[in-house]
Amino acid sequence: MRAPSERSQLALMVAPFVVGLVGLVLVPAAVTVGLSLTEYDLIRPAHWIGLANFTELFADGIFRIALVNSLVFAAVAVPLRLLGALALALLLHRRALGVGTARTAAVLPTAVPEIAYGLLWLWLLNPFYGPINLLLRVGGENGLTVLGRTPPQWLTDPTDARAAIVLMSLFTIGESFVVLLTARQSLPGEVYELAEVEDATGWDVFRRITLPLLAPVLILLLLRDTILSFQLSFTPSLVVTDGGPPPYATTYLSLFVYTNAFEYLRYGYAAAATAVMLALTACVVALQWLIVRHYRRAYVG
Amino acid sequence: MSGVVLEGVRAHYGDTEVLRGIDLSVPAGELLVVLGPSGSGKSTLLRVVAGLEPLTAGRVRIGGRDVTGMRAGRRNVSMVFQSYALFPHLTVERNIAFGLEVRDVPKREAQQRSRAAAALVGCEPLLQRRPAQLSGGERQRVALARALVREPDVLLLDEPLSNLDAELRVQTRAELRSLHARVGGTMLHVTHDQVEALVLGDRVAVLRDGLIEQVGTPDEIWGSPATRFVARFVGTPAMNLLPADGPLRLPGVPAGRLEAGVRPEALVLGGEGLPARVELVEVVGGDAHVHLRADGLPLVARVPAAGRPSVGDIVHAAVHPDDVHLFDVDTGRRVRRA
Repeated sequence: MRAPSERSQLALMVAPFVVGLVGLVLVPAAVTVGLSLTEYDLIRPAHWIGLANFTELFADGIFRIALVNSLVFAAVAVPLRLLGALALALLLHRRALGVGTARTAAVLPTAVPEIAYGLLWLWLLNPFYGPINLLLRVGGENGLTVLGRTPPQWLTDPTDARAAIVLMSLFTIGESFVVLLTARQSLPGEVYELAEVEDATGWDVFRRITLPLLAPVLILLLLRDTILSFQLSFTPSLVVTDGGPPPYATTYLSLFVYTNAFEYLRYGYAAAATAVMLALTACVVALQWLIVRHYRRAYVG
Repeated sequence: MSGVVLEGVRAHYGDTEVLRGIDLSVPAGELLVVLGPSGSGKSTLLRVVAGLEPLTAGRVRIGGRDVTGMRAGRRNVSMVFQSYALFPHLTVERNIAFGLEVRDVPKREAQQRSRAAAALVGCEPLLQRRPAQLSGGERQRVALARALVREPDVLLLDEPLSNLDAELRVQTRAELRSLHARVGGTMLHVTHDQVEALVLGDRVAVLRDGLIEQVGTPDEIWGSPATRFVARFVGTPAMNLLPADGPLRLPGVPAGRLEAGVRPEALVLGGEGLPARVELVEVVGGDAHVHLRADGLPLVARVPAAGRPSVGDIVHAAVHPDDVHLFDVDTGRRVRRA
């Protein structure tokens, strides 16, 4: 029997990925775009309404709130998450006593199932017996903080609730942490020794060496996290704040889609909102590709 | 320009003692090559001078200044690493200027000095390129320019030629030698390549297991190796060693358990002397390495490839008494002839 050609072997190896990509990403995306041009409630057959969903969407005040909430969340949470992951990675990349335990601890919250994680925070954030506010009230009187201010009302004040969702997202940075940790450890030691001989210390080393050398990885993580941030806010806003406090303080795009589809049974409308999210994501991916290409040119020549 | 003095330097790597008491004095302006096999501690020696490795005992002085325990950046030394350690995100010019920028030298001055350093090693045309666009030899020059730009008291070179191909290594070796002649300055150059050491060094320090076996000019290292180790480590093929009272019947050998060392090029194959059977002949360009067995002892002779014997021939090996080195079997140290 003749051995299969290299080309057919490669095709065979890539086949599972192609099947998955088509079946789980491309087809659903196409269905979503198709659905966004119809009105569909699962009961009556879908009927074509053209761009009416999009017209309604852009006139919808709630959608606009959700869009702004999502963008603000991304703008605040993504840099903070990355900064946290970078700080932890640089702190824990050296061998030291207890560093293994600390690394595990850094990754652990990411491994907790999302719903359980949300329920845990419901307790942590409780204004009366939640440990966070108990801690903030230490040293203060009459339920106030030591500075005489009211502690944050995480679940009832709109701004505090949005902050709570960001706060929750700051501990699920295990993946970025692991990527940055390995990236830092793969940087050549001689470069740092050279810096030592040249009398570069602390901030100089970070600014002139570590940061630029990690930049390609950081940018990738930044864009990945931006894409992820559309999903990241979903479970917390559903489980912990339920999109509130009223009217829509923590209604994000993902929650907006969920509510329209599964509570109002407006599948066409939800699909239109999803398509907008998809377009936003596509823009981010395009940007990512451009930047990665730029770095590859500059570094590899 | 400053000399370097090491006094009783000891250093550990984990539980192993890598340097076991090094005393070494490098006068200002000298190019000293530290030669040794891998694991001999030669890189550690360099790193101790740089301040990258802590000592467990002893002192390091640079230009009369005690720098033991002083951090690397304050010692005014610079170093060329084996991998060159160039920054991939900076142009050649900014790579060279790195040490000046870190020390807040004004931008104009830093630029002028980097260009001058680049001119010194002939890498001016590369100034605007990035390391990824350079060949190995070009990277090596850039690393050298970066090390020279600060006009350091001591220049430390950690196997800077080992990543170059053979032809480029020979060329760069010569350039390094002429650079030292032009720039002056104290240089410590670490290598495991004995030819590099002999060609390059004003003096050579041979290291073994964390101890200095011998320090001397290349002529001294070659002509009167202080120990059996130095004798065997320098020279290709390695020096023949055989019992001094053995088959060569050497005159003037003092009493005691001694070994005689004869360099392969000192063995004369001709009509008289010790009869030996040719077991293998390796031709290396104009020379031939002839592997012999005489009285059960293996010997290697280096002869011109033109008149070389064939395998199976019986030849006679002789040596001039002046070409015989004597070593004490127990201590391995050189013994003077009576």
